[in-house]
Amino acid sequence: MPHQNPISNPAPLRDGLSTDLLIVGGGVNGLGVAWDASLRGLKVIVVEQADVGQGTTGRYHGLLHSGARFAVSDPQTAADCASENLILRRIAAGCIEDTGGYYLATPADPVDYADRWLAACLLNKIPAEEIPVERARRFEPSLSPRLSRAFQVNDAALDSFELARRLVAAIRRAGGLVCVHHRVSALIRDGDRITGAEIVDLRRGVKSTIGASFVVNVAGPWAQAVARLARIDLPLTYAKGTMVAMASRPVHTVLNRCKPPSDGDIIVPIGSVIVLGTTDEPVHGPTDLRIHPWEIDLLLAEAEFILPGLRQARVLRAWAGIRPLFDATSSFETGRRGTPLGHALLDHEKLSGCAGFVSIIGGNLTTFRSLSEKIVDLICSRLERTQPSLTKTTGLALEESGHYRLPSRLERMRGADSSSTSNLVCECELIDREQILLALDDPDNMDMDALRRDLRLGMGPCQAAFCALRTYGLLTDQLHTARIQKEWRIQPFLEERWKGQRPVGWGHSLRQMDLSRRLYQEFLGLRQEKPA
Amino acid sequence: MRIVVVGAGLSGLFAAILSADLGARVTLVAEGRGSLALSHGGIEIWGKASPSRALPKLQANHPYAKIGLPALRAALGEFQALVEDWGGLRYAGNLSRNLSLLTAAGELRRMGLAPPAASNFDQLKLKPFTIGAVQGLLDYFPALIEQKASSLGLKVQGVIDLPVLDAPAKRALSAVDLARMFDQKPWRTELLRTWKPPLSGVSRLLLPAFLGFKDFNAIREEFLEELGCTVFEVALPSSSVPGLRLERVLRSRALDLGVEVIDGVQAKGRIDGPSRGKRVAGLALSSAGGQRQLNADIIILASGGFLHGGLEALQEHAVREPIFQLPLDFPQDRTLWTSASPFNLQPYAEIGVRVDKQLRPLDQRGRVMFENLHAIGGILAGSDRTHEGTRQGIDLSSAYKAVHAAIKPLRQTASSRRLK
Repeated sequence: MPHQNPISNPAPLRDGLSTDLLIVGGGVNGLGVAWDASLRGLKVIVVEQADVGQGTTGRYHGLLHSGARFAVSDPQTAADCASENLILRRIAAGCIEDTGGYYLATPADPVDYADRWLAACLLNKIPAEEIPVERARRFEPSLSPRLSRAFQVNDAALDSFELARRLVAAIRRAGGLVCVHHRVSALIRDGDRITGAEIVDLRRGVKSTIGASFVVNVAGPWAQAVARLARIDLPLTYAKGTMVAMASRPVHTVLNRCKPPSDGDIIVPIGSVIVLGTTDEPVHGPTDLRIHPWEIDLLLAEAEFILPGLRQARVLRAWAGIRPLFDATSSFETGRRGTPLGHALLDHEKLSGCAGFVSIIGGNLTTFRSLSEKIVDLICSRLERTQPSLTKTTGLALEESGHYRLPSRLERMRGADSSSTSNLVCECELIDREQILLALDDPDNMDMDALRRDLRLGMGPCQAAFCALRTYGLLTDQLHTARIQKEWRIQPFLEERWKGQRPVGWGHSLRQMDLSRRLYQEFLGLRQEKPA
Repeated sequence: MRIVVVGAGLSGLFAAILSADLGARVTLVAEGRGSLALSHGGIEIWGKASPSRALPKLQANHPYAKIGLPALRAALGEFQALVEDWGGLRYAGNLSRNLSLLTAAGELRRMGLAPPAASNFDQLKLKPFTIGAVQGLLDYFPALIEQKASSLGLKVQGVIDLPVLDAPAKRALSAVDLARMFDQKPWRTELLRTWKPPLSGVSRLLLPAFLGFKDFNAIREEFLEELGCTVFEVALPSSSVPGLRLERVLRSRALDLGVEVIDGVQAKGRIDGPSRGKRVAGLALSSAGGQRQLNADIIILASGGFLHGGLEALQEHAVREPIFQLPLDFPQDRTLWTSASPFNLQPYAEIGVRVDKQLRPLDQRGRVMFENLHAIGGILAGSDRTHEGTRQGIDLSSAYKAVHAAIKPLRQTASSRRLK
């Protein structure tokens, strides 16, 4: 039997196929809906215009909320987070690092907030316990000596790329299709009902028509564009959040500022870095991802209150994600920070008489599962199906991704087999030759950026300065020449790495950027590609 | 007369050698090591077109406009003579036409002077050649080179697997490992014996650059005599053997000329003498053993650009030169330091020290800051060396220009003093 990558699609997307659910958007909400529905025996097809987790899902800070953040402002979301936190720790243990979390009050924070917040946590049954500041500092010696109070909460670090990967594997194992680099170009309307869609394979330029009993619009910031295909106007506003990753991991616990939710109030250790998050700025649309210097400065300055001296450390890169906010009043202010993590489930049959079509706006990574369950419940009631959701008790295991994370890769290298030490392609993330070859088996992995998502290639401190050539060289050995020249190119990969480093382009980051330019352009002679 | 050179990269080493050759007492202080190990070993002069035709047209703020074509020509001549006479490295090329070298990514990079036995496109295209593959060698991808070379119109006869003796067991084999092993005569005699059968009938062989540091010429001779192969070398990144060969020759020449080399010390700032700020009296240093001072008649600053810490970019939208606090021109908004693609021209790369025609740093009003301080190499403003393909040309010619500008007047004063 030929070796098949265990997470590739069970069948190709063919013209004329019909499905129960056509899900537009391969973020965590779309994948969550597809997973929940496929476990209930529904046929699903997920269509994603870029790659899974490429949108808001992957542009996330990595915090699995304990709920404590919303205890004061939004008790309902807080309670959802608290219960989902426990469920995800069970079903998605492999994506979660149990870091625990601290709430830390600094002299810059409102004095009365800590007690109000603690009371709200207790009232909403969100575990939070005051501990002596000295105890927190014993666990995390980098913490500021000027902290006034410390509380322990149930936070954790969640790797959203790994979660998306496991969801894709689970959907495909249950018979569903996840089609990346495909876009819905038209919705087919029969009277007052959406009955399917026309889908373009963006990489091959092929169109196909799919029939669907239900179309689920979970395109995140792109939901407005998708709804427009059904001639429905969604009043959306957009908020951008910027995050900064440091090139080191000086703490191993999630750190929250004990103050009302605001810019720069969390620090999340994830993998080999810590992420500082986030800002919240109104923007015009889904592509409005420009990062301003004030955002970076603010995040670093706020982190300094908890981790003094952090700004001397090397900043790795910065990125921004867009939160779409449903705004029935079309006023931005009502949708801002107060309830960014709430969601709107829009049943277009009720709202505008367009059956077979729902849109979901917003949501929060921690509560993606319960939101998905709610959506599929609604759809099942419309389809007159009665199967209950199984996601609460179904594990998202993925055997072959055991080597995905740094500690397990280190473990593998320490083993008897020394071939992985001499076959290292990426020294930052410890990716060896075999892992790249395995990832190449997946036909969806059609460019170097897909390997980044799959293996963390180029995401470490060197930002691809050393691994891009090695990967490219390895690919030439393994792949057909034509495939190499068309999609597997170094330049766009390096340009993508550069983009994330630019907002933090000073100090050590700028030195790293300069080194990479010198290597690829002076030493290796790469030039800008001529536009096709 | 004492000259203190700060920095042990290409420009610092070359300046120290030139100064010592002119009879000066030279001390070279270096915190790190420069980036010859990250360099292909060639001398890029002006990668975009013929250097001798393009350079006279450059704008006044470009380093070459300060240095001038005659100094560049003289510097290259000195360099070629130096590395050939002292180290047996015969660099080919001239100012009128660039050479193209095949890189480890199978692309071409243009440069003015190419290291000996380099993968020169003009020579490779004359006749078909064979690519030697070495299993497990870090950063070497013969299939990639073969494919790209063919698409460039080169005739590759095939790729032949060549076994390696005594490869390290627990880590990847690097070109530097092999170069060290090649320098051992018994090892390479044995290796050449095992390579003889697979290479029978091969007369032109493309290999990664690893044919020794010391015995480079002898090894090439042995390849020709024992195997009948002319070897062309492709430099591999992450410790480049041709770059290290060049560093080795320059360092040993400097030591031979009596240059005092102090590695691992950081220049902290200037010492003022009785000149009321017109001259620098010396340099304050910080080393593992503590602080020390070095008096100097002339200081040549070759501390490099951003990569080496000669320039520091700060989060506060500012750039500084950390040793002498020299004034710099830079965009006051850090988002303007870089451009959208790494393959574009980068404003940050043009930031640096502005100098007069003797390469002395200027203050904000365009006046010479210190009569006896010269800046050379990567710290000079006005060129994105990566984009232009000018790095080593600026390094060598600015070193030459500064040394000659600094030493001539001093010699005159010294001789006039003697006359009195």
